[in-house]
Amino acid sequence: MATPYRHWEIIDRARTGKFMDEDDFLPKHFSPTLKKLIKKYEIKYDPNTPCPTDDGMADRIWQAAWDLFREVGYYNTDSHRIIEVTDEDIKEALYFAKPQYSVGSGRDERMMKHRSIEDSEPPFCILSPDITVDEKYHQSMCMAYLKEPILDGLCGPILEETFGHLIESGGPTEISGCIQHIQNQKMAARLVGRPGVFMVAVGTAEHDSGQIAVSDNDWGVQKTDARLVGSLTEFKTADTLLNRSLHYAQYGSYTGNLTGAIYGGWCGGSEGTAIATVAYSLIGLVIHGAMFNQHFPFHLNYGSNTTRELLWAISMSGQALARNSKLIYTSNGFANAGPMTEMLFRETAAHALVSTVTSWNLWEMASTRNKYRNRATPLEARLGCEVGHAVAGQKMTREQANDIAIRLLEKYEDNAADAPMGSEYHECYDAAKALPTDEHLDMFRRIKDEIAEMGVEFPY
Amino acid sequence: MSLENLCKLVEDGDAEEARALTEKLLKEGINPLEMIEALTKTMAHVGDLFAKLEIFLPEIMLSGEALTAAVDVLAPYLEASGGRQIKGKVVLGVVKGDLHEIGKNIVKLILETNGFVVKDLGYNVDSLTFVKEAEAIGADFIASSSLMTTTMPRQLEIIEILKSKGIRDEYKVVIGGAPTSQMWADKIGADLYCYDAKSAPELFSELIASK
Repeated sequence: MATPYRHWEIIDRARTGKFMDEDDFLPKHFSPTLKKLIKKYEIKYDPNTPCPTDDGMADRIWQAAWDLFREVGYYNTDSHRIIEVTDEDIKEALYFAKPQYSVGSGRDERMMKHRSIEDSEPPFCILSPDITVDEKYHQSMCMAYLKEPILDGLCGPILEETFGHLIESGGPTEISGCIQHIQNQKMAARLVGRPGVFMVAVGTAEHDSGQIAVSDNDWGVQKTDARLVGSLTEFKTADTLLNRSLHYAQYGSYTGNLTGAIYGGWCGGSEGTAIATVAYSLIGLVIHGAMFNQHFPFHLNYGSNTTRELLWAISMSGQALARNSKLIYTSNGFANAGPMTEMLFRETAAHALVSTVTSWNLWEMASTRNKYRNRATPLEARLGCEVGHAVAGQKMTREQANDIAIRLLEKYEDNAADAPMGSEYHECYDAAKALPTDEHLDMFRRIKDEIAEMGVEFPY
Repeated sequence: MSLENLCKLVEDGDAEEARALTEKLLKEGINPLEMIEALTKTMAHVGDLFAKLEIFLPEIMLSGEALTAAVDVLAPYLEASGGRQIKGKVVLGVVKGDLHEIGKNIVKLILETNGFVVKDLGYNVDSLTFVKEAEAIGADFIASSSLMTTTMPRQLEIIEILKSKGIRDEYKVVIGGAPTSQMWADKIGADLYCYDAKSAPELFSELIASK
């Protein structure tokens, strides 16, 4: 029951739209238009409120995002043409967008839903390390994540090597690595007793050929799973990306739209980052027929989104989407610190708290700036998702969330630039058993207690 | 209108006004070398603001354009007076299979505004193209960026091609991009891991000095 969309019209427009030199698209078209809309709609970042309550500004961000998409379009770098859209296109796509989808299969089937601001429904929790891992730890890490009862969906770690060969994008090693990736992931799901669990796969595929190679309802990515299609920074696509969304639709699996508007880059500051994030949800729907949008706006220098400039952008874009659409979107945390550090747990908690209260579903948690191999574990993701369930269950208000977010920020924000790298997976997990070490678990419990004292009412 | 005004126009990213004022100041007899020195300091200041994200990418790009407009006017005069010092020639691009270029574009801007000549090859660049372009312009550096772990092996491929052609020692090979590291640079035998854009001019200068 995926949202139908006009992929052939989009493909036509990608070939016949208005010509523009790629060098001009961002500096002369995208950024000036965004700057104009920030001014027109009076969008203003306030560092004192990482989780604002300004409904009027949320609605203006929505309108600015709509105008941005309609005025700028979406650039195809292969044809050098702009895929242009009309108000009618956007309205039609929004009308047919569904507020919930059944994902996964059998006993492991789950409902992924649109959430509202201060919703008491728990967020749909996709757990993901978002990072590369040594081949020897890949299946163990998949199992470690799948062991988390709070997991509704898994996006597994990425392989850099397959049977000792470096994986090269677009080459035969990528095809092999992608098959190895999905088979490890599916085997892990069976071994932990969750054979039908929802998966977003496979992150090892940088090229479209890798994704297409794993489309198999028996042994590969199943039709009850999802796959991602990304954008190029900002508002740009390419044939290799359009190939994916068309293939996903024709194969019959779900499509997720993966985007990360860059704070400090072509979007400018928090205001532009929030607007672009909302616009990306419209792009996902109209251009790619996405069932959900997976957003990870991030800081240009840090590569993270747990500092207040980014929490504000996440919070406001979530509120804009919740108040004006029934779309489904996940908030993907990117932390500065690495595994088994108190800072990572606090960053994850702040990200999950602000995201959940402002309507997002959760996708936790990239650590160590999403840069270093083996540096991610399920335990930080568990904490983030437990915070998400807790604040939804207690129907936490935005004011309360803002207060707790500020208290958490005070504990880690000054260390964003030189955050500790922490440990690798096998240093803080028993890789053979796919379980955290006692030391790691102790730290988790200690920080969870600290967060509980701030007012988060964990159900267990 | 003074040299100070010109520097302000560059900082504000007003290319047309910067070009016009440069022409005017030249007619008034201001030394072009003095102008280029002041503009270089201004651009370093703009670079510092950007490094702290007190300004954002669109603003520094406009400043870069304004600087280019002023330098274009000054170029003939600089050549007549001994020329602007070129710190090095760089072939720069994003490796094959990788379409992410924001980091590469920032490095390009910072290098160019600090006295390097940059040949920008764009993104999704074949490894052999890096080498051929370096040979064509007599580059000092071959610099490649990779944002994806699965495109990092192309940085190794560039070095392997240089070795196969017997010209490895003729170029300084620089790598960068989010998933890359000093460890990766050491593993593949690159000469420099460039960890951020702001540090690029200093790191490149140190490397060429050690040639």
